[in-house]
Amino acid sequence: MRQAALATGAAVVVGWPWAAPRYFVFLASLIAINAIVAIGLNLLSGYTNQLSFGHAGFLAIGAYAAAILTIRAPALPVPVSLLLAGLVTAAVGLALGIPCLRLEGLYLAMATLAFGFVVVEAILSLDWLTRGNDGLRVPAARLGPWTLATDTARYYLVMTVAALLVVAAVNISRTRTGRALLAVRESEIAAQASGIHLAAYKTLAFVVSAFYTGVAGGLFALVVGFLSPDSFDVFLSVDFVAMIIVGGLGSILGSVVGAAVITTLNDSLAGFQNYRPLIFGAILITSMVFMPGGIASALGKISGARSRPPRQGEDR
Amino acid sequence: MISRSSVLLLLAVMLSALPVAAQQPGVSDTEIVIGGSNSFSGPLAFTGEQITKFGVDLYFKVINDAGGIHGRKIRTVYYDDAYRPQDAVANTKKLVEQDRVFAIIIPQGSPPVVATLDYLEENKVPLLFPYQSSPVTRGKRYVMQGMTLSDRSSKMMIDYLAGQRKVKKFAALYQDDEYGKSFLTAFEKDLGRYGLKLVAAESVKRGVTDVSAQVAKLQAAKPEVTFLVLVPGPGAQALKERQKIGWNDTIMVSTGPLTDERYLSLAGDAAEGVEGLSLWPDPVSSDLPGVKLYREHMHRYFPQNEPNRYSIAGYCAAMLFAEGAKRAGRNLTRDGLMAAFESFKAYETGILPPITIGPDHETQKQGFWVRVEQGRFKQMTDWLKSE
Amino acid sequence: MTWAAVVHVVVSGLATGSIYALMAISLVIVYNATRTLNFAQGEMLMVSTFVGWTVLRVLSAPLIVALLVAVAASALLGWLLERLIIRHAISATHFDVLIITLGLSLVLRSAAGIAWTHDEFPFPSFFGNRPVAVGPVRVAPVSLGIIGASLALMLALGALFRWTRLGRAMRAVAQNQRAARLMGISVERVYSASWVIASMVGAVAGVLIAPVIFLSSKMGLVAINGFTAAVLGGFGSMPGAVIGGMLLGVLENLAPLYLPASIKHSVPFLVMITILLVRPGGVLGRVARRKV
Repeated sequence: MRQAALATGAAVVVGWPWAAPRYFVFLASLIAINAIVAIGLNLLSGYTNQLSFGHAGFLAIGAYAAAILTIRAPALPVPVSLLLAGLVTAAVGLALGIPCLRLEGLYLAMATLAFGFVVVEAILSLDWLTRGNDGLRVPAARLGPWTLATDTARYYLVMTVAALLVVAAVNISRTRTGRALLAVRESEIAAQASGIHLAAYKTLAFVVSAFYTGVAGGLFALVVGFLSPDSFDVFLSVDFVAMIIVGGLGSILGSVVGAAVITTLNDSLAGFQNYRPLIFGAILITSMVFMPGGIASALGKISGARSRPPRQGEDR
Repeated sequence: MISRSSVLLLLAVMLSALPVAAQQPGVSDTEIVIGGSNSFSGPLAFTGEQITKFGVDLYFKVINDAGGIHGRKIRTVYYDDAYRPQDAVANTKKLVEQDRVFAIIIPQGSPPVVATLDYLEENKVPLLFPYQSSPVTRGKRYVMQGMTLSDRSSKMMIDYLAGQRKVKKFAALYQDDEYGKSFLTAFEKDLGRYGLKLVAAESVKRGVTDVSAQVAKLQAAKPEVTFLVLVPGPGAQALKERQKIGWNDTIMVSTGPLTDERYLSLAGDAAEGVEGLSLWPDPVSSDLPGVKLYREHMHRYFPQNEPNRYSIAGYCAAMLFAEGAKRAGRNLTRDGLMAAFESFKAYETGILPPITIGPDHETQKQGFWVRVEQGRFKQMTDWLKSE
Repeated sequence: MTWAAVVHVVVSGLATGSIYALMAISLVIVYNATRTLNFAQGEMLMVSTFVGWTVLRVLSAPLIVALLVAVAASALLGWLLERLIIRHAISATHFDVLIITLGLSLVLRSAAGIAWTHDEFPFPSFFGNRPVAVGPVRVAPVSLGIIGASLALMLALGALFRWTRLGRAMRAVAQNQRAARLMGISVERVYSASWVIASMVGAVAGVLIAPVIFLSSKMGLVAINGFTAAVLGGFGSMPGAVIGGMLLGVLENLAPLYLPASIKHSVPFLVMITILLVRPGGVLGRVARRKV
């Protein structure tokens, strides 16, 4: 049953550009990019309870890193520039994660919010590198002899990377590391008591989360083709948080579903113009009222109980 | 869990969204479809709604009621991007590939517009009259410029102030984005021609709450003229701040996009004596035939909406499109439209000076000087030249 | 840069800082009771101020009436939202409620744009704009007025928390909800009261700041500074919120005065990050330092 679902899913993903109009291929790429960020954010917030409102900052770092590499070193194959973008972002994640170890809850959330703003300001200040307000045009990426100049080519690149990262995330969650991270979420004190080195795991979560988002940023740069500081504001960070909460914290499937739902909603509501935020907001409200714990939690109720984060008004 | 049949159902639904092929995109026997990505939420939502729904659409209502263009009615499609460049890219792709629009009209803001430039040029889709002032949109075959670009504005302003009125000390309070930066760069360049430099330049972020520090620093530099490169809110804040500290020995000068009745109403009496470059005749009181007609039409179709410079910009954009489409003939193609635009020689809108479109594809190249007296803009010069 | 100019800039910063402080207090009141951040705080005050403004325009009422109407509208809005929506997300986690308040902020902002358009409107002030000379220093009455009114409100709130039964109940719930319930305190009543009081504080802040930043559907964004102020001062602490707000307002104004353009806009955030690193609970925070 599970195999059949996976096989059908894979077939849909591979066959999509042949069946769907060009625009929906582009949209699918965007969904996949957001899903990668959501998985990364989930690793941080869903597993170790470190809620981040600054992930647009990591996305920006990865995006600009990949874009600058593509412009300045055009001979570099795409997988390498994506990897480098991810590593650069991971390094920043490390630099942010360590001091954030001593912060919790809302203080951490605010620190990450501040981080997001600082990244945008840095992009503006480093305008000799990033072209600041004028924005940066990203040339098409090269993979061996091919130039990824069509939506379909970029789609396959995005899907391949996304598939690899999803598999990696599933594996992480199944290993000792994943269980340790989950343990941290349930109770930091208990986790410590059972020998888990809290600082190491929390920092690891930051670094991996930043890496994922950085790679997603690189893909974003290639798919959208243009970067500007206006692309990475705090509202984008909030969108990512919405994705993982609507999808369901602590669930990889939830992250993917959440990303798909929010991205598709945003896209299909664009024609409602000034009613768009009204409808989107109303949908958010009703989903959370009727599906507390997110979509994954609602699905999980069908297939058995799940552990839950603290309820409204409860002390930790 | 996700079952096989639901996946197949999903696939079927998606397949049914395949488009029906059309000959010339956006042109059928009965209608022409044009559209654009614009701000309907976010920082520039008011402007976005005015230039589209109460600007472009107003003019097209008049045209459609009179029978359309060569028997075709014009329909518009707009999507909201909230000023996010990546959303503008997605919306524009959707308009071109799914809605199959004939042309893109009056998208707003440099980042969203520049993000879509390459795509539109590659796909040979006309980008008409983008509502932004950065010169970066120059030099594209399929782009027709809209509002007077910042380098032309700057040239007119500096030539008038430094050249004619012999002002020597200039300062600038500018918004920290492409609008502000493009004017700043242009000012520095034009002042350089007179051997001058800005004595002070202070930036503010969009949505700022307090500008007292920036205004204090500018005052300390003692400029004769202080440029305001802002949007109406911070612009009015700066004027009120100036009033608060009693800084009277400078002339505040607003750039084209700021010279607008809205900052007048926000600043109240703090706006007295402020000068600026106006890109439009007064939409509320001008006697020009085109402006009177615009007011009549607004009153007829949207009586609750007050005339303003944004909707008049959209109205003009639609007027130019309609004329271009008319000249291109019944056999309407995108290349035909662009060629028709290039044939404009001293075309009268009744609102702006006669429009002659050259290879630079610029439709607006002029402004005139104004001064605020008793709460209204008083015209001080004729249309200035920027060539 | 004369010292008189610096004083003027600082006073102006204290005025905006007072508003940030009021915003921070609103957020802290709701947080203390319900352990949730209300993302819609700014939009709620924006709508209330618009309601007051409508009364001003349509009935040509005096400004004080507009203020009272705004406060009443905000109380009603806060009460309704808490009872109808928040309360019904019974089995929700506080992350879910976060998204609900996010949805509310979007709905309110969009609804305001539809009702009043997204245009910006001047709003009358209780205080004048013409400067008052105190020696060589020029101070605007509007700045002094905002500082004064905010301080008065903060003192009133302080009295509420200290000397009234409701205030004590709110403090008890903030400290330990389970124990408070066991002591017979109606936690649901405290939730309602918190939302209502927080909204009312917001409405006052809105009416005070609208003359300065103008009334528009995006006016609610000033609440983001409220978040920053609340964290700077120490979330959960009322005096902390006040200090955080004032500090933020003054910092925001001094930074452009002395620092180069490239970092001046980041300064409030950099300062916040630094303070959080040194004192993770904020300037007056009561959170114990965690040893990790």
